[in-house]
Amino acid sequence: MNATPDPFTGAQDAALLVAYANGDEQAARHLTARLLPRVLAQATRMLGNGSEAEDVAQDAMMRLWKIAPDWRQAEAQVGTWLYRVVANLCTDRLRKRRGGLSLDQVAEPLDTAPSVTAQMQEQTRMTALSDALAQLPDRQAQAVALRHLEGLMNPEIAQIMDISVRSVESLTARGKRALTEIMAGRKAELGYDDDEPE
Amino acid sequence: MMMTNPNDDMLDDLFAQARSLNPVPSDALMARVIADADAAQPRRATVSVARPGVVARILDAIGGWPAVSGLAMATVAGIWVGVAPPASVQDFTAAMMGDELSINLFATDLIVEAGVLGDG
Repeated sequence: MNATPDPFTGAQDAALLVAYANGDEQAARHLTARLLPRVLAQATRMLGNGSEAEDVAQDAMMRLWKIAPDWRQAEAQVGTWLYRVVANLCTDRLRKRRGGLSLDQVAEPLDTAPSVTAQMQEQTRMTALSDALAQLPDRQAQAVALRHLEGLMNPEIAQIMDISVRSVESLTARGKRALTEIMAGRKAELGYDDDEPE
Repeated sequence: MMMTNPNDDMLDDLFAQARSLNPVPSDALMARVIADADAAQPRRATVSVARPGVVARILDAIGGWPAVSGLAMATVAGIWVGVAPPASVQDFTAAMMGDELSINLFATDLIVEAGVLGDG
């Protein structure tokens, strides 16, 4: 781990972004260390593919650097803005998967499981979940991912997606119902044939 | 008693597995992102405002091209009034300055007078 003390401890993300826009050379490094892990995690959970998630994470951060000179602190928090950007970039990619398998969906295993067998099963399950998300309408996929993969509360999701809380409830309910139907046929393949989740 | 749908259980388990994913960004990804940031960063030192030329500064002082076109129009109008004054302008100048008066500077009597003065 990087043991360098953070001289910007306590500074808001937005303040760091303004410092970056004003030419501070260290601000981007600290913002990257703070924000990139969460951005990469969100993309990985939605896409189920490490390589694609890295591309999305880099793209999302690039958009942050580009908007920095025009950032208006009163309008949004950096974290909220990034959730929205990553969700949009991921649904862009999921949309391209519809009607066919992603060519590189097994090319880059997720590097988080303890054994090869468990890793393979987790990879299969995460790919299946992501492919099922890809079959949902974009807004449903985003709402379900923010609620169930990120664990966010509905008011926060409403802010990220710029819709009402009631709309979030509706989207997540319909999305989850659709996902259940899509995944029902893949129980045995995903190791859930004994009706007992592992 | 309400039965739980096993398919819901499977989905909840998949969600939980997804939430447990916390990939650590690789050094290569960190380096790419920071390189992007450096490339996109506004540079105060390299941002220079080009000094406007003489014409641009004069234009700026008098109010830009709209002012120049106004000046040009006023000039043309002035020349036109001088060359072909409307009747109302002619009457006005006659009233203010008297009727037309012409003096011949080379008239003979004036030359004579000059000669007298010279002799005297």
